[in-house]
Formats: sequence, structure tokens, C-alpha cells
Amino acid sequence: MTEFHEFMVAILRSGTPLVYVTMAGVIAQRAGVWHLGLEGVMIIGACATILGIVLTGSFPAAIAIACVLCVAASVLLWFVIEKLGANPIIAGLGLTGLGIGGTALAVQALFGSLAAVTAPFGVPRLGEAFGSYGALSIFVLMMPFVVWGMWVLLRRTRFGLRLAAAGEHPLAARSVGTDPGRTRLIALASGGVLCAIGGAELAAGGLTIFAQNMTAGRGFMSFAAVIFGAGHPIAAAFAAMFFSLVGVAGIRLQLLFGASIPHDVLLSLPYLATILGVWISGRMRGGAKAATEASELRDY
Amino acid sequence: MNLGFGAIPRALAFIVLALALCGVIFELAGYSALLMFEAILEGAFLRAGGWAQSLRWGLPLFITATGVAISFRCGFFNIGAQGQFYIGAICAAFVTHLLAGAPAALVLPVTFLAGMAGGALWALWPGYLRLRSGTDEVITTLMGNFIAALVLVYVTSGPLKDPSGTGQQAASPLLPAVYRISDSQGISPAIIGIAAAVALAMWVLVNRTPFGMLASLAGRNPTMVRFQGARLWTLGLSSFVISGALAGLAGTVELLGPTGRIASGFLPGHGFTAVLIALVANLSVFATAVVSLFFGGLASAAIYLPILAGLPAAAIDIFNAAVALFITAKSGLLDRLLRMAKLPT
Amino acid sequence: MVGQNGAGKTTFARVAAGLVRPDAGSLDIDGRPLRLGRVAGARAAGVELVHQSFALPPSFTVAEALEFGAGGGIGLYGRRQLLRRCRERLAALDLDVDPRRRIRDLPVEAQQGVEIARALVTDAKLLILDEPTAVLPPSGIEALFERIRGLRRHGVTVILILHKIREVLAVADTVSVLRGGRLVAGPIPREGADEAGIAQMIIGGAEVASADGDDTAALVGARQVGSAGARGTREEPPPAAREAVLSLASVSTAKEPEEPALDRVSLSVAPGEIVGVAGVQGNGQRTLVKTIAGLADAVDGDIRLGGSRANRASPAQRRALGLRVIPFERNSEGLSLTSALWENWSVRELMRRPLLSLVDPAALRRQCDKSLKAWGVHYAHAAQNAGALSGGNAQKVILAREIDADARLIIAAQPARGLDIGATAFVWSALREAAGRGCGVLLISSDLDELFDISDRLVVMLSGGIAGTFAPPYDLAAVGRAMTGASA
Repeated sequence: MTEFHEFMVAILRSGTPLVYVTMAGVIAQRAGVWHLGLEGVMIIGACATILGIVLTGSFPAAIAIACVLCVAASVLLWFVIEKLGANPIIAGLGLTGLGIGGTALAVQALFGSLAAVTAPFGVPRLGEAFGSYGALSIFVLMMPFVVWGMWVLLRRTRFGLRLAAAGEHPLAARSVGTDPGRTRLIALASGGVLCAIGGAELAAGGLTIFAQNMTAGRGFMSFAAVIFGAGHPIAAAFAAMFFSLVGVAGIRLQLLFGASIPHDVLLSLPYLATILGVWISGRMRGGAKAATEASELRDY
Repeated sequence: MNLGFGAIPRALAFIVLALALCGVIFELAGYSALLMFEAILEGAFLRAGGWAQSLRWGLPLFITATGVAISFRCGFFNIGAQGQFYIGAICAAFVTHLLAGAPAALVLPVTFLAGMAGGALWALWPGYLRLRSGTDEVITTLMGNFIAALVLVYVTSGPLKDPSGTGQQAASPLLPAVYRISDSQGISPAIIGIAAAVALAMWVLVNRTPFGMLASLAGRNPTMVRFQGARLWTLGLSSFVISGALAGLAGTVELLGPTGRIASGFLPGHGFTAVLIALVANLSVFATAVVSLFFGGLASAAIYLPILAGLPAAAIDIFNAAVALFITAKSGLLDRLLRMAKLPT
Repeated sequence: MVGQNGAGKTTFARVAAGLVRPDAGSLDIDGRPLRLGRVAGARAAGVELVHQSFALPPSFTVAEALEFGAGGGIGLYGRRQLLRRCRERLAALDLDVDPRRRIRDLPVEAQQGVEIARALVTDAKLLILDEPTAVLPPSGIEALFERIRGLRRHGVTVILILHKIREVLAVADTVSVLRGGRLVAGPIPREGADEAGIAQMIIGGAEVASADGDDTAALVGARQVGSAGARGTREEPPPAAREAVLSLASVSTAKEPEEPALDRVSLSVAPGEIVGVAGVQGNGQRTLVKTIAGLADAVDGDIRLGGSRANRASPAQRRALGLRVIPFERNSEGLSLTSALWENWSVRELMRRPLLSLVDPAALRRQCDKSLKAWGVHYAHAAQNAGALSGGNAQKVILAREIDADARLIIAAQPARGLDIGATAFVWSALREAAGRGCGVLLISSDLDELFDISDRLVVMLSGGIAGTFAPPYDLAAVGRAMTGASA
């Protein structure tokens, strides 16, 4: 039984950051932005949390700093896409590069080396009352509520409908007096907060450490989870959990089979699961049709 | 013929914007932005031998970037140049390993073929998934990059491990000099010749054949060319394969040329920089050559910065990323700025 | 409000609704000036606009589509409460639609009904309908007018934007005429309106070279035309004895996304014949075009092009057999707007050569120049982007590409949509000339006046099948019944 609990703890610990970032991707996608900058915003959140704890010694202050920086990065992305008319895919990848490079630069500037930074404490834990799950952070407990709240916001409020209209049919949104650009700003900025929490959970939810490039594609996996979940918050959350389940299962397999399977093959399992996920969603959307769908550099 | 030079003021404007953003980031991190830019400029172009270094880093980048450009032209976001570069280099390394001892006249052609085939293969599956079942190629090629990096770690710490290797970075043994097409300085007639051949072939392909012209049209409007009877399947898959093969070729050039071996995580920014180059060059072959030298210079500065100036190499990554953030921007805001700048004249 | 395409009708509507901010002038509602360019302000003053091609997100359910425009704030709702509210609103308008259905699955008439209901959610005082009749069958137009009269009785002011005189005179209290962005006349009370005078005001001085009286009537929708059928445009009747350039025998397809499948469609086009395809949009016309062009597979039946069976032929092979397509969407299917004119024009030439042969772009550009000049396209140079052309000129580029010496069968899908009167007349004469040279023409349109005026024969599509075949003189009522599937 403890085996099972350990497994669950591992899945929740690795899946929770992914779910938060996925929610950021979902709200952006509903508003019409394919958010490939998730990876960059997430690593900013992770770095800012750890550095914030180290520098201020206070977790609330650290998470506040992380939120501010992540929202600023998201707003920058919004400005470039919406106001400068940049291609969201390339701009998102650029933001990702900025996040990874910028955090590395910040660490080096503060500590003089690129070694991992360890914080004395991290996100508050659930505590004894939760038994085997007590070592998990409060963000894990918050996660289902955030997903549910996102579902309510997107599927059960007029705001959610206007957000979706802004993404799907901007003229329709404009016709009822909604500014699609501003709606996207709201979506991306609130996504910034979610990415900050996701990054904080990643860096300070279990171990309290920030290492260069530590997101390792998790932001892109979240993006894939949005596609896999067809933009539905709950489906996307499950997709994100599925990706992390595959990752955790891979590590368990390593323990079972030892060296007979190369470690690096197992590490690539989450990436393979992600490819499988987008492949399945591509097939569900009708395959060949999607192959001719408008892509971003195209002219209509 | 549109060589893409019309887009130069636009590209320059966005590079200035990117510089401004970089300045802000450097200052926030506590570095002097001016000092940083000065060091980058010096490292890239002004120091002795700077231009040679630009060539050494720029030529492989150019080969990969022309490949990226052809898939972008056809409307497919093959972001996986990094993975294709790695897999190409790995396949090539295996060939040199298996054929070790055979005459170079046999080994080199097979190695090049293997490298290109490896890169093409690593672009083929995302292309197939995209065209057959509409699987988002951005995600598949990105994931392909991560997987290829892991494969590289596995290969360099397993089958092709350098037994005498020490230190943190796993690597394959250094190739014997007979198989090398350049020394570690990375400039040799062979490499320049390969780059020139690629440039010529790609220019003809893009600008003088129905394939290139239809692929470019398909990239801008696939529905229209479909109505005209073209097969997106052929155009698209070929573009993927060509772009992968060129990335693989660049990997082979690195293996046989300046690097001389494959090492886990070597040239980590190569693919992304190539994507940038293609975009800055507005997907034109000639402009790609010029832009490659610029970014090649920056790549060499990344080595110069920490060693000679004591500044973090991440500065170059940040600059590249900032360029990526702005480079596709096109809207009225910039046009208005450009027009305002022109008004007095 | 009447006027030809390009007269500024839609701009007028959008200015009134606050979607477009005018450069100068003011706008008063109920005597109070409105803040210009603000949708929220216009809606608060009771102005609502129903767009020509509807502005409802296709993935929304009917209930969501009615809700998303209502009021500001977060607006939390429950599912049951939403459905109840939606049913009440639909019932008040006498609309019979399931509120749980998605917009994209609704027939156009129902979509229009929902959009009108959406506009009335906020108690509109002024409802603007932009070209509401363009998508409707004759019976639907009658029903719409009945609904509008009902709204008027409830005190709603309605501005109808139309381009057919007949329809205006059937429902409006006053008529205003726009041309070239100017108000030419109006408001004229209906009693004092005279059809010929309004027609003249709509057309203005524009010379409509090839148009005779019937063409002119068809262009402004004055009276019903086509009673004389194909009239004297060609001396001899189409030689039916010759082998058909296109024949479909009981062709069925799988379902296309957002379009019904073809259901045992049989039709044939003889050389020199113009066959019209009528029908409310969304009844399989797009599937028909794709099937003939080879972009959708026939699962059953026979497609013959110029006598040879073409079921398995690729799009390129079909084009080699002389098939040419003027597609529905000029700007997405017909042209690449961000590509040069010569590139757009050259595709046909490029497709004739092996993919890896050498071509000379300069020669292509010269050929293109020659061809575009011959077709009277107004353009600066062949390297300019297609997106810079007006609708009429863009359509001429497509005609220049598609109507060449080797063309045997021309599929013209809505070739005159959105074009002004002069360009429309040009397209019609181009199609007639092609037919005169022996091409078969399949003309798909939702404008019955256009079809009646130039078709030698007419088939009506309904739910992916052929609901009737008509020969001149056409009977509007019978065609209308076939379009809606009402039994005679």
C-alpha cells in the first residue's frame, strides 16, 4: 500500500506543475493564442521563487515576485503578438529562450556561477494531517480547485463565452462590444500567474532547488496537453497528469529492471507520450483536413 | 527575383528592438548593458581572427538554416533542426566508427550520406504525422529535439563512448585526421565548398523549379495550390526531408570538421539559431548566407565572453531569443515608425 | 437601404453599430449623439447589427450564442437556467431551434434566426440587417420579412440592407440608395418609389457593356428574369448530341466537414452549355465542387470528364483533361493574397511541368503580363501582391488563369459574389464567351436572378442531392419549392 502512495505522491508532485501551466495554456488557447512561451514563463516562475526565497527569506514575497515577473513576461508576449503582429509560435519560442537565458544570467549574476541554487525552504507543506501525502505542497491540494475553477470560468460564465468568442470569431466578439485584444491580454496575464505557481511548484514543491534549464520541455508538454485536451480544462489537466504518469512510470521501471533498459530511453518516455498525445488529437480532429488548415505564416 | 533584401530595414528595426530588450535584461541582472554589447561585438567581429570564427560557426549554421527555410517556405514549422542535426551527426559518427580503418575516399561519402539520411529520417516522421494525421509539427519536432538530445547522451556514454574520456561531458573518440575535412579551426576549402554547393542547389531549387515555387505558394496558401492540382503530400514531405537532410549534413560537417567528435549536448543552440537565421533572412537563400555569418559571429562570441571577458555566455542566448521574439512582427506599429523616420527626407 | 456591392452599405452598417470609427461626422440615436467607434455605446443606445455572413462562433451552442453578448461582468450561469432563458427568447421570436445544438450544425436560416435573436437579447431599438436575404430561399425571404414586420409592430426600427429592388419594395417603408459611398437618394417613401428610377440610381453612370435589359434587371433584382431562358446570346441551342464534358452518374461521397455529403447526384454538362446549380448555401454545393475537382472522393457512382472515367483521377490529371475551377472563396481558395500576381497566375503553367525541371521566372512573368492585359486587369506590375487588387480585378486574375484555350469544363462557384455591377457583368460575359467557344460551364450560385439570367438549364441542390431540374422559362415559385424541399 505504501508503494501505491509513494507512486501517487510522485505523480502528483511531477504532475501538479504541469497542470498549472496547462491551465495557463488552456485560457490562452480559448482566447486564441497558441502559447508556446509557456516554457519560458514557467522557468521564470521557478527561478524567481527560489531566488525570492533566498533573497527575502519569505515564501509569500517570493511567490509575489514570481507572479509579477511571469505576468510581465506574458504581457510582453501579448504585446509582441497583438500589437506588433508577430507570429505567436516564433515569438513564443523567443520568450522561452529569453526565460531560459535570462534565468541563467540572473543566477550567474547573483551567485557568480551556473551551479544549482538551493533555497532553505519551499512551498508550505500540507503537513501531518494528510498522512503519506503530507510532504506535498499546498499547491497540490489547490490544483483540483484551480482546474475546476477554470472550467467554471470558461464554460459557465459569460466572461468565458466572450473569451472563447474572442479566440474563435473576433468579429463576433467585437460585435458585442468585447475587445478581443484586451481579452487576450487578460487571458495571457492570468496565465502568467498560473505559470508562476507552476514554476514555483516545480522548483520549490518538493526539492527546493533551481537548476539551469530545469523545466526541460515541461512547458511544451503543457502546450501539448492543451492540444490533447482540445482546450477543455479538465481534459487538458488529465492529459498533463497522463504525461507525468508516464514519466514517473518510466523511473519506476528503471528501479524494476535496473540497467537492462538504458536510462536515457526511459527519460524520453514523457516526450514520446506527448507525441502520442498530439498524434491522437490530430487524428480525432479529422487528420488530412488539419493538414491543410491555416498555419500562422500563411496569408489568410 | 526577390532576394529578401527589401526586408532588411524591417529586420534591422527589430534587431534594434531586441537589443533594447536585451539591454533592459542585462541591466536588471546587474551587468552593464553597454559593456556587454561592446564585449559581444568585440568577441563576434572585432577581435583578431573574429571573421574566421564567424565563418567557422556560420557555415554549418547556414547549411541548417537553408533547410529550415525550405520547410518554413512550404508552411511547416520544422523547429526540430537541433534534433535532426544531432541524429545526423550520430548516424555519421556510427559510420565512421564501423568503417574505421577503411580509406577516407570510401568513408567520407558514406558518412555524408548517413548523416543526411539520419537527419532526413528525424524530419520524416514529424512530416509524415503532420501530413497524414494533422499532428502539430511544432510539438513533434520540439519533442524530437529533446529525444535526440537524450539519444546523444546515450550514444556518447554508451556505444560510442570515448574510453579515454574524462570530465563531465560524455563524448565519442576524436576522429583520426584522415577522416577530418578541416582542423579544429573549422575553415577549409572542403567545408566552404559544401556550403557553396548547398547554396547553389537550394537557390536553384527554390527559385528556378516548379517544386520550389509551388512549395512557397503552398506555404502561403495551401488551399489554393490544392485547387490547382498540386499534391501537398509531395511538396510538404519533400520539404521536411530536405530540411532534415541539410541539418544532418551540418551535423556531419561538425563531426568531420571543427568538432571532430560528437559530445553530449554539443552546440545546443544550433537548431534554434538556424530557425532564427532563416526568419531574419526572410527565408531567402542569399540573405540566409549573409545572416548566417552574423549569427556565426555571435556564436563565436558565446565562447569568447566567459573565457576572455568574464561575462556569461547566456548573453548570446538572450540576444538570439530577443530577436526571435520580435523578428516575425509585421504590423502597423513598426510601419508607422518607419514612415515617421522617412518623413523628413 | 439599397446599393450595389461596393456602394458602402456594409461600412454604413458598421459605422452605425460602432465597429468602424468614421473619420468625420456624427451619429445621433433618438436625438442623442453617440460616441463613435464604440460598440458598447451603440449597443447601450439600442443599436444591433446582424452581419451578412453571421458573427456567431461556430462551436457555440445556440444557448451560448444568445448568452455571450448579454451584459457585462463575469456572468456566472447554470446550465439549466441558461437553457430555460434561451428557450424563452427563442419562443418569443417564434424560432424553433434546439438550444443545445451547435451553430455550425445549423442550416443558414436557423443561424440567421439565432443571430437576430442574439441581437434582440438586449432589447434593441434599432436593428440593422446586412444583406439578410442573400442566403435565403424565396420562402425563407418571405418568412424573414414576416418576422421583420412583427418586429416593427413591437416598435423596433429595422434598417434592411439589400441589393435587390424587388425585395426592398416588398417590405420597406422608405428606400435610400447608396452608391460609391454616397447617399444618392432617400429616404423615398415606398409609395412614391419607382423601380426604373431606383435601378438607374443604383447603377449610376457605370457602363455595363455587355448587359442587355434582362441582365440589368438581374443585376439590380428589379423584376424576375429568365422567362426567355438563354435568349439569343447564342444562335444555336447547345448541341446535346455531342458527348458531355462532365457527367456525374449517381455520385455519392463521404461527409465533408461542415458540408453535407453528395447523395446520388446525377448531372451532366454538354459542351457550350451553362448549367446552373441553385440551392441554399450549405446543401452540398462545396462538396460538389470538391468532388468534381478531385479534392473529395466519390464513394459511389461515376464521374466522367470529357467521356473518360475520372473517379480515380488526381486533381492534376483532371485539370489536364480541361477542368478549370473558379472556387467559392476568391481570397483563400483562388488566390494567395501575399504572393505576387505572376506567381498566382503561373501555378497553372508550373503544374504542367515536372516538379524538378528548370523554369524561367522572367518568361513566366512576361506571359502573365500579356494574359492579364488581355483580360483587362488593372494592376501596377506583375510582382505586386494579389492582395492589393480589388475584388473585381482579383476575380479577373482568376478568370485569366482558369479560362485558357485548353479549358473544357469551367466550374464557376459564386463567381460574382461581392463584385460590383460592372465586374459582375464582365464575369457573366466571360462565362458566356467561354460557353460560346464550346466550354461547358457549371455555375453555382445562391442568387436566383443570376442563375435565371444566364443558365441554359438549372438544377437545384438540397441536402447533398438534386432536388429538381428546370429548363427556361424558369418558374420562381417551383424553384423556390425545390430549394426548401416543400412538395408542390
